[in-house]
Amino acid sequence: MSSPLHDSLDGANGGIQSGRYYGRAIPYLPIDGYPGKLIAIEGTDGVGRSTQIELLREWLEVRGYGVIETGWTRSPLMQPTIELAKSSNTLNKLTFVLLYATDFADRLEKEIIPALKAGFVVLSDRYIFTALARAGVRGVDRQWLRSLYGFAIAPHLVFYLKVDVETLIGRVLEARGMDFWESGMDLKHGDDIYDSFRAYQNKLLREYSSMADEFHFRNIDARRSVDTIQMELRRQVAAFLESADEPRPE
Amino acid sequence: MTFSLLHATDFADRLLYKIIPPLKAGMIVLADRYAYTAFSRDTTRGVDRQWVRELYSFAVRPDLALYFRTPIEVSVDRLMARRVKLKFYEAGLDMGWSSNPVESFRLFQGKVLSEYDRIVEEFGLQVIDAAGSITEQQRMVRQLVAPHLATSPVEMSDEQPVA
Ligand SMILES: Nc1ncnc2c1ncn2[C@@H]1O[C@H](COP(=O)(O)OP(=O)(O)OP(=O)(O)O)[C@@H](O)[C@H]1O
Ligand SMILES: [Mg+2]
Repeated sequence: MSSPLHDSLDGANGGIQSGRYYGRAIPYLPIDGYPGKLIAIEGTDGVGRSTQIELLREWLEVRGYGVIETGWTRSPLMQPTIELAKSSNTLNKLTFVLLYATDFADRLEKEIIPALKAGFVVLSDRYIFTALARAGVRGVDRQWLRSLYGFAIAPHLVFYLKVDVETLIGRVLEARGMDFWESGMDLKHGDDIYDSFRAYQNKLLREYSSMADEFHFRNIDARRSVDTIQMELRRQVAAFLESADEPRPE
Repeated sequence: MTFSLLHATDFADRLLYKIIPPLKAGMIVLADRYAYTAFSRDTTRGVDRQWVRELYSFAVRPDLALYFRTPIEVSVDRLMARRVKLKFYEAGLDMGWSSNPVESFRLFQGKVLSEYDRIVEEFGLQVIDAAGSITEQQRMVRQLVAPHLATSPVEMSDEQPVA
């Protein structure tokens, strides 16, 4: 195996410091010492990320923090392309991975890095882990993926909203029904969207779990009520921000 | 970074639809620019050298890669003769090295060329002196391409007499 992959893997594994790049890639954008904080809320489709982020944002703002939200495929540059590719269902898996990476890079350079520089708390609705999980399930080489996302910044906190498939199915059906992509219908497990959703989400959840140690996920039991989850998030975020605000001994 | 990934996405699309299928069918594919273009361009724009190489590791390694090498002055002259205006990105005007397009082009392409020199070494590209005449260049190209064609299965089956 060639060395570059290992460098970035060692970085991710070997407890790379939060707020630094995982691996190689953007030497022209140094980020050391930026005052902002990056908090990622990860979890599968429909698990309740947006609900929690909304509440967390209000709470942080009341406490006087500047908050910026960023989310997957929200980059103004790439959104139309991704939507178009999705709607035509012709997205090849490699192109799919690269389109998502492009969208992420755009938001990293234009939104996340400037916000960190300006001292904001950045709440990221999904981070690279969703991309890694989706691509991993589709059989894309995991080492290549880690090297690809070497340009990502290691968040200060990664909350993983952990759920089981049964709970998820209930939540998604109640909220809005199952969607073609969330059911992995492109993987052609069969025509039945319910069976496909279950099989695909099961694989995805396993893929997320397999990354938990490597990327220091903080597991949050997402089967509980909205309020209970929110309380736990606030407790952990508060503890982190307080310790970060304390003046460091020189 | 975004620039680099956009190009890679486009490249992946062309690779999967335009390059791999004809190769599978035993055809010859001529690619005007390949991953090496990205290696030199993206590195010049400040992206990590090793990262770009990893990024493109999904690309098929060409049987033959030709590099038309030219001194910077020659390429400046050719561009000036052909076009009224230099393209914004080709001239690296986004880098902010110089507001004069020609000067910026010289600086930017100078770096691109020295990256290419490194790539020639690393990936064993065949160098063609692009300062020469078109006829001379074409003669070189044919010489380099010929051995690859002689051993291609398609070519052989054509030449073998039917028993
Ligand atoms: N803890 C919870 N218990 C029960 N229902 C919940 C919980 N959290 C969220 N929901 C409901 O589940 C649905 C999906 O929630 P939300 O939109 O926050 O999920 P999401 O993870 O952002 O989804 P998407 O992947 O579509 O962005 C909503 O109808 C929401 O009210
Ligand atoms: Mg959401």
